[in-house]
Amino acid sequence: MFFTNRRIGGSLLLAFCVTYAILSQKIPLLPFQANVAFHARTMPEILSIMGIGLSLAIILLPSPREFVDLAGKNWFTVLAFLVLMSFYGLTIRPFGFILASTILLGTGYWILGERKLWLLLLTSVPISVGFWALMTLGLGVYIEPLPWFLKG
Amino acid sequence: MIDGILIGLSTALTPGNLLFVVIGCLVGTFIGMLPGLGPMSAIALMIPVAASLDPAAGIILMAAVYYGAIFGGSTSSILINAPGVASTVATSFDGYPMAKQGKAGKALAIAAYSSFSGGVIGAILLIIAAPFLARVSLSFHSTDYFALMVLGLTAVAAFAGQGNVLKAMLMTVIGLMLSTVGTDQTQGIQRFTLGRMDLLDGVSFLLLVMATFALSEALMAILRPKDDESRLKEKEASANLGSMKISKEEIKEIAPVIGRSSILGFLIGVLPGAGATIASFLAYGTEQRLAGPEKGKLFGKGSIRGLAAPETANNAAATGSFVPLLTLGIPGSGTTAIMLGALIGYGIQPGPRLYIDNPEVFWAVIVSMWIGNIILLVLNLPLIPYIAKVLAIPARFLLPLILFFSLIGVYFVSFNTFDIQLMIIFAVAAVVLRLLDFPLAPMILGFILGGMMEENLRRALLINDDSWSFLWERELTLTILVIAGLTLFVPMLMPLYSKWRKNADRAGEGG
Repeated sequence: MFFTNRRIGGSLLLAFCVTYAILSQKIPLLPFQANVAFHARTMPEILSIMGIGLSLAIILLPSPREFVDLAGKNWFTVLAFLVLMSFYGLTIRPFGFILASTILLGTGYWILGERKLWLLLLTSVPISVGFWALMTLGLGVYIEPLPWFLKG
Repeated sequence: MIDGILIGLSTALTPGNLLFVVIGCLVGTFIGMLPGLGPMSAIALMIPVAASLDPAAGIILMAAVYYGAIFGGSTSSILINAPGVASTVATSFDGYPMAKQGKAGKALAIAAYSSFSGGVIGAILLIIAAPFLARVSLSFHSTDYFALMVLGLTAVAAFAGQGNVLKAMLMTVIGLMLSTVGTDQTQGIQRFTLGRMDLLDGVSFLLLVMATFALSEALMAILRPKDDESRLKEKEASANLGSMKISKEEIKEIAPVIGRSSILGFLIGVLPGAGATIASFLAYGTEQRLAGPEKGKLFGKGSIRGLAAPETANNAAATGSFVPLLTLGIPGSGTTAIMLGALIGYGIQPGPRLYIDNPEVFWAVIVSMWIGNIILLVLNLPLIPYIAKVLAIPARFLLPLILFFSLIGVYFVSFNTFDIQLMIIFAVAAVVLRLLDFPLAPMILGFILGGMMEENLRRALLINDDSWSFLWERELTLTILVIAGLTLFVPMLMPLYSKWRKNADRAGEGG
């Protein structure tokens, strides 16, 4: 099989490097910079050439027959965590730090198999409140603790 | 030098900074002990805390976390054969067999004494080498710095191991590419911002490190199915450790090993890119050869020499890796690259001027290494039976906490929710690259050095009237570039050469 771990990685990074190269040509240049040796595009252009060259070398040179084992891994659990983290990013402001963090931690423990409600609350609420207190009261970094509907 | 040490002592021995060393050592040990989380993740998790401190205290805290994490990695290597850090893999070769023989306490004590000796001897060598190298490097021009950065990056790629050179080089280039995102430093032109205000300042170094190390390591742990063996290991960790006493004969046996491995480890650590992992394996191999046929046979079966050598060398190398960071401003390893990023965040540019402009930071780091090693020995060693209980904390509680601390660590610096989403994207990319066995440390190194490299190249071209001739006209620059070329191509060509030799020999025998 042609697509070994190395070649899949090389192909993904080649796509990244080609996109980078295309975007590098969209960097605006000032009129007097056309003939100078170094401008805002110089480094990106050098890096594009190096990146594309190295990716092609990785794809085209002989590669060890190593294939990633996709079976038996907890894909759905990881996906659930990605959604949970993204949800945290979206809710940390409207829900406030304490509620959003409690949801993140409690749901995280639940996804990984903890089912006792009292333990879920005991290990998430004090950490959220404690960390908020440490940052706001201890280090003077203000974070909005409460959700939008409880703000004064 | 004496003045410097006194400055360092007066800075490091303030009650506040001393407390940071203690906290750093304990936190580092705690994090380093968790399989999968190494010094890079430990330091990354500490950056938000360090950012709120003054530069000397922040760097002292991070250095203490670094040592603590290496020590913690040794503990999990010995107790459950699960090295938290690559540099302690060699420790598990003889440490774990000793633990299985009921000598876990002794193994931990030997590891602690060896780490202590390696760290202290390394710090003495650092005191001698760093100011000397700093004085020499004051005569360096921007062209030389550009060449040195090329050397640093190529060395990292070259030390990546056989078959991984191209991958490491590509990842370095990817890191350099990411460093160009944002507003151009000198001309104020936007690059790769995709029209988003959030990217005007570029990708945050902390965000990238947290996403690619702490977050992706936690996600990888979630991805792996938890087997019965690891549950068993957790139970083993809380079992009785046995006596921690070492006999006089044993001390006599390991003393020369510690001496040799300290020097070897330090020298390897100074080389950009080599790092503690290579040092530990080299020291292990060297001692096995020096032990003779009889004692050599015991290696891998619970030899105290086999345990002392890598433990000494990895700590000495960790100290050695501070030499290029403090004197040239070029990180010798992924971990020191993170520290470089933190120093730049403080507005401090490590390099020869650090020695002159911020002597308190320069010397405080060196002195705090001694203090950190003493604290690891007197505080962590007796506490190990208790700290080891962390290995028994169920992953279902530990992993969400690591994710939580990673996310808020980044959010509390920028207060921008876009950073959380960007972090998730980088973490997913990092997980994919890890699964495909692409190294991430060279990317971080490229990212950190990218801005400086571009600036030095721009300055060098400006000084040389837009001519690239500085690459071959200035002798020092050319020498460094030649070394960089050799560092890169010799390891690549070696397998071809040995293949050619084998074929030639076979042809000779046939003829």
